[in-house]
Amino acid sequence: MHMEQSMGVHNEHQKEKLRTMSGFLESIRCGDCECNVDWGERRNTIASIGAGVLFFTGWWIIIDAAVKYPDEATFHHAYHTCGVIATVAFLMINAVSNGQVRGDSYSEGCIGQTGGRVWLFIGFMLAFGSLIASMWILFGGFVVPKKPVVYPGIAVFFQNAFIFFGGLVFKFGRTEDLWQ
Amino acid sequence: MAGIKALVGLSFSGAIGLTFLLLGCALEQYGVYWPLFVLIFYVLSPIPTFISRRLSDDSDATSNASRELAYFFTTGIVVSAFGLPIILARVALIQWGACGLVMAGNAVIFLTILGFFLVFGGGDDFSWEQW
Repeated sequence: MHMEQSMGVHNEHQKEKLRTMSGFLESIRCGDCECNVDWGERRNTIASIGAGVLFFTGWWIIIDAAVKYPDEATFHHAYHTCGVIATVAFLMINAVSNGQVRGDSYSEGCIGQTGGRVWLFIGFMLAFGSLIASMWILFGGFVVPKKPVVYPGIAVFFQNAFIFFGGLVFKFGRTEDLWQ
Repeated sequence: MAGIKALVGLSFSGAIGLTFLLLGCALEQYGVYWPLFVLIFYVLSPIPTFISRRLSDDSDATSNASRELAYFFTTGIVVSAFGLPIILARVALIQWGACGLVMAGNAVIFLTILGFFLVFGGGDDFSWEQW
């Protein structure tokens, strides 16, 4: 009986140790964060971040090509125009909201609904144009003349592709429905 | 006021991130200090969010165009902080090992800044007198 008592004390001690040990790990909570935000609001954040990644990755690709091949013969400096126009197009597309073009925003804005539509039209034309121009630069300026270094042409193409898709994601990936 | 423990933890991780950055510059086999330019991006990264919080009067849960624009620019600054070491390594201005250390430091520092915003920045009464 003495043995049983000591065994009982030993078991109690073990349980006490387990309780303190599990207490140490219990303080780490895994799924307990306050992520009560609904996915509707998260969509805008994710779209903004995705668009930022795409846009700035495009610019860093061209910076990389420009740093790697600084001379005019391998990378004609006029090809930078394509990316600049694509950036202007990005800004134009995202300057007007979808609501203003549809006509159901609060205020008319400076240029109104028709002006918004013309602005958006020109913006999209510049965006598509710069994407097509980047393909032209790659094939007409680098692939067909069989230049020894093709990387700058690929960089121009990817820069404009990323900027274009970044603009699309920023424009259409966000919802303007304020009341979910 | 979310507590001293969070503050100490965040300052520790900030110190670790800066240690990675400085190791990428100051180790014997590297020795060049070009990677310190990413410090500019560290300083710039919270600014768009601060500006958008200042400018918007309402901080309700509905969509906020200035906040999304701030996220866009902040993401751009973060991407730039990762892009700069890669470009420096590709033109052999720094070595790839230094580039790896700088990128590890970037990750830790940006997670620290994000932690600051999550722990201390939330709430409707974002004010400068929070401390």
